[in-house]
Amino acid sequence: MIKVALAGQPNCGKSTIFNMVSGINQHIANYPGVTVDKKVGRFEYEKQTIEMVDLPGTYSFSSFSLEERVAKDFIVDEKPDVIVNIVDASNIKRNLYLTFQLLEIGVPVVVVLNMMDVAQRRGVEIDIQKISQMLGCKVVSASGAKGVGGKEIVEAIISTSKNKDDYKKFKINYEELEPCIKIIEDIISASDISLNHRWLAIKVLEGDSSIIEKLDKDSNNIKEKAKIQENIFHDTYDKDICAFLATLRYDCADVIYHKTINETKLGKSTVTDIVDKFILNRWFAMPFLFLVMFLIYQLAIVYGYELTKYTWPLLAGIKNFAIDVLPVTNFIDIPMITGFVIWMINSANALLNYIPIFFILFALIAILEDVGYMPRMAFILDRIFRKFGLHGQSTLPLVLGGAMVGGCAVPGVMATKGIADERARMATILTVPYMNCLAKVPFYTLLLGAFFKESMALMMFFISTSTIFIALIMAKLLTSTVLKNRETAPFVMELPPYHLPTFKGVIIRAFQRVWTYIYKVMTIVLAVAIILFAMLQFPGISDESQIKYEVQLEKSLKVFEKKVKKSKYYIEVNTKEKVSALLNYYDGYRAKRMTTSSREGAKSIDEKYKQKNQNYFKFIKPKKDKDARIVNKVLRKLSKTRKRILRNIKNEKVENSLLGMSGRAIEPLTKYAGFDWKINVAFLSSFAARESAVATLGTLYENNKADSLRAEEAMAQNSGYTSLHAVAIIIFMLLTPPCIATMIVVKMQTNSYKWMMFAIFFPVFLGVFISSFVFTFGNIYHLNGLEAMKYYYISIVSAALLLGLFPQKLMNWKGGFLKKP
Amino acid sequence: MTLDMLKKGQRCEIKKMHVKGKLMHKLLDMGFVNGSVIEVVREAPLYDPMELRIQRYLISLRKSEAKTLEVAIL
Ligand SMILES: Nc1nc2c(ncn2[C@@H]2O[C@H](COP(=O)(O)OP(=O)(O)OP(=O)(O)O)[C@@H](O)[C@H]2O)c(=O)[nH]1
Ligand SMILES: [Mg+2]
Repeated sequence: MIKVALAGQPNCGKSTIFNMVSGINQHIANYPGVTVDKKVGRFEYEKQTIEMVDLPGTYSFSSFSLEERVAKDFIVDEKPDVIVNIVDASNIKRNLYLTFQLLEIGVPVVVVLNMMDVAQRRGVEIDIQKISQMLGCKVVSASGAKGVGGKEIVEAIISTSKNKDDYKKFKINYEELEPCIKIIEDIISASDISLNHRWLAIKVLEGDSSIIEKLDKDSNNIKEKAKIQENIFHDTYDKDICAFLATLRYDCADVIYHKTINETKLGKSTVTDIVDKFILNRWFAMPFLFLVMFLIYQLAIVYGYELTKYTWPLLAGIKNFAIDVLPVTNFIDIPMITGFVIWMINSANALLNYIPIFFILFALIAILEDVGYMPRMAFILDRIFRKFGLHGQSTLPLVLGGAMVGGCAVPGVMATKGIADERARMATILTVPYMNCLAKVPFYTLLLGAFFKESMALMMFFISTSTIFIALIMAKLLTSTVLKNRETAPFVMELPPYHLPTFKGVIIRAFQRVWTYIYKVMTIVLAVAIILFAMLQFPGISDESQIKYEVQLEKSLKVFEKKVKKSKYYIEVNTKEKVSALLNYYDGYRAKRMTTSSREGAKSIDEKYKQKNQNYFKFIKPKKDKDARIVNKVLRKLSKTRKRILRNIKNEKVENSLLGMSGRAIEPLTKYAGFDWKINVAFLSSFAARESAVATLGTLYENNKADSLRAEEAMAQNSGYTSLHAVAIIIFMLLTPPCIATMIVVKMQTNSYKWMMFAIFFPVFLGVFISSFVFTFGNIYHLNGLEAMKYYYISIVSAALLLGLFPQKLMNWKGGFLKKP
Repeated sequence: MTLDMLKKGQRCEIKKMHVKGKLMHKLLDMGFVNGSVIEVVREAPLYDPMELRIQRYLISLRKSEAKTLEVAIL
């Protein structure tokens, strides 16, 4: 097996090449530093197994950032057979800086000149043969995005690994530094470490902490010895070793650049230059940024929601199909298995309903990432973010977390790995969970659909833009209190050239992310749904109540019988079994009928039911048949009564259940925020996965198992809430902690349980406090929901602005900058 | 003079870097070495950070960091 490491500078197309060669699709984005963890792919080529690892992009190969450490540790610990160095052909000089460092390691290198199409367009002519000769390794050209060059890369890898014993070690002559390198190298040679000694010596002189740590075990005091050399060098030549090395490497890159490259369009503006004139224009940049965000709202939320009107009947169809095949209800006695399956389907449907919104959203974000707009957003917004202790680079985590409309805190928190500034990174990790989690969007949409039909867009605007202000306030508070003394780092960020996204790439990524979402729904949420079902079933209703409801049913059955006797069809409904079957038939028909609004759909359902039972159908559509009409009338009444009884049973069951008891237990506390036990139950269930809140509310308010009312309609009808209640609920939801999955990544990223606990409990207290305040305030001044929301919004926006005026503690990264002489 | 004082469109050469530690490593890696030529492409809409062209690519740098680079206008 050939072990291959893919290394290269950020955004040079490593992941694209990786996907092209290995056939695995992983996240590709035009944002420096999207791949933070390494991805592994294994494939066969001419009976050779090749294992390829996609390393995070690094500008250099020291260990001053996490990406560099991940990449270097892989090379040191896993000892790959070949390093494939992807080079952005349109930006060769800076890329060569890394290439030299890779060549020095001593592992055979294959250089891939990627983005040849871009280079060509920019008039960069490259003498590939000559580069190969000068570097002493194979050089292959490719255009990852166009699918060009895959085969050549694999063949170069195989032939390089075959001849790896003949590989001549690459050596840069570091002139004045050579004596120092020699001394350190000799010390290292005394130990039996298998890596290239010269490379290790150079790393030690660079002050590479992880290498020094490794070596310190064998050859003692290497750190001090290196320090001595460094001082000697400094005293003799008045030069800093790192600066000296970097300058020399850039000089070498310059030599190669001048000998092998001919730029025919030098000085002409590139497409990127021209586009940036508009996109980053002083007056135009901000409006454009807001336009982009607004377009995303409009396309994903508004049109996506329109689409759900077409997808909902499909989901309701699944449920009705299940009802058809499951054991039938005997009046008010719903078989356990039927109740369970329907509960599960309802839980899943409530979420699947929003797939169109997610798909559009993910596709749009994928386009933004591919185009290269994300770092420009950081550039435009950095000054604002910095004021709150964040970093321009916080933009990506916040956007992924849902700064625009919705996202997921899990990738958001994970993307914070790339932020070099430790304090901003911590602050971003802790504030991303305040962003609009996509799974919260259905919850808001449910409440908005129920209580804010007219002002839905405005409310959605408040909801999605308020989170960013909350995040800013929190970031400011955190960075000026608990995170005050954390290390900070400079803002030095590349603005990559624009790339046209490929249709395929965008669609694939949107599908992948939607699939991840569904996957999460299917696992976590369904697991939680099972637990909840149990917690809702147990201990069930009391015997007295059971009897009470049975008596109620008997009574209405008697009335039914009396009335129906007048009809000549009495013979068809003269036993309880017959009535029960007819009742289920009737309810089943009504439910199906509601999932369709078209005439053809209605007709086909009619046909189906006629076929199912010709005799019963006349009771549903009696037309001119007088006797059938009698039955129809009383049947409708009976159906209504049964629904009412079922609802009462259900409510009583939930109230008595374990979950209901917990919800009720905290009601004294939450009543100030206007939450009754049902909402508490929903929130409790949402701790496991945010999605569950909608599922639970949906099922709690859904009044009958065969009812196709959309959840929001059911909620508006059955809950008894005002819009002020809804606002208190929304505000709490905006602030409450993220799901378990997010908490696990917070733990991973902060590497501390303390911070995880903080991330869980602080927002809960904050949420209870603020929503109680808003609800109480709203009640005193008789505000409706929309007004309360407006006041809330205005308050947090002004709070954020005020806080922004306070100066942030000055940058204090290690070393800092010297006072000007 | 220092880099942050330059106006849009001006070009300069790095003379001396008054930096240490993390910032120094980062700048070195991005191609800020003595003698490299920098062009100020523009300032962000909020006047900070600034966009520079160095080693034939684009980079953004906050003014507080640009202040640490001593340059000579070309
Ligand atoms: N025109 C063109 N675009 C390319 C080519 N290869 C990659 N791209 C685009 O360049 C962008 C970045 O590609 P990625 O594969 O994510 O780069 P990466 O090196 O993995 O980036 P990081 O993981 O962030 O370091 C994407 O928008 C790709 O579509 C190419 O050969 N030609
Ligand atoms: Mg990548």
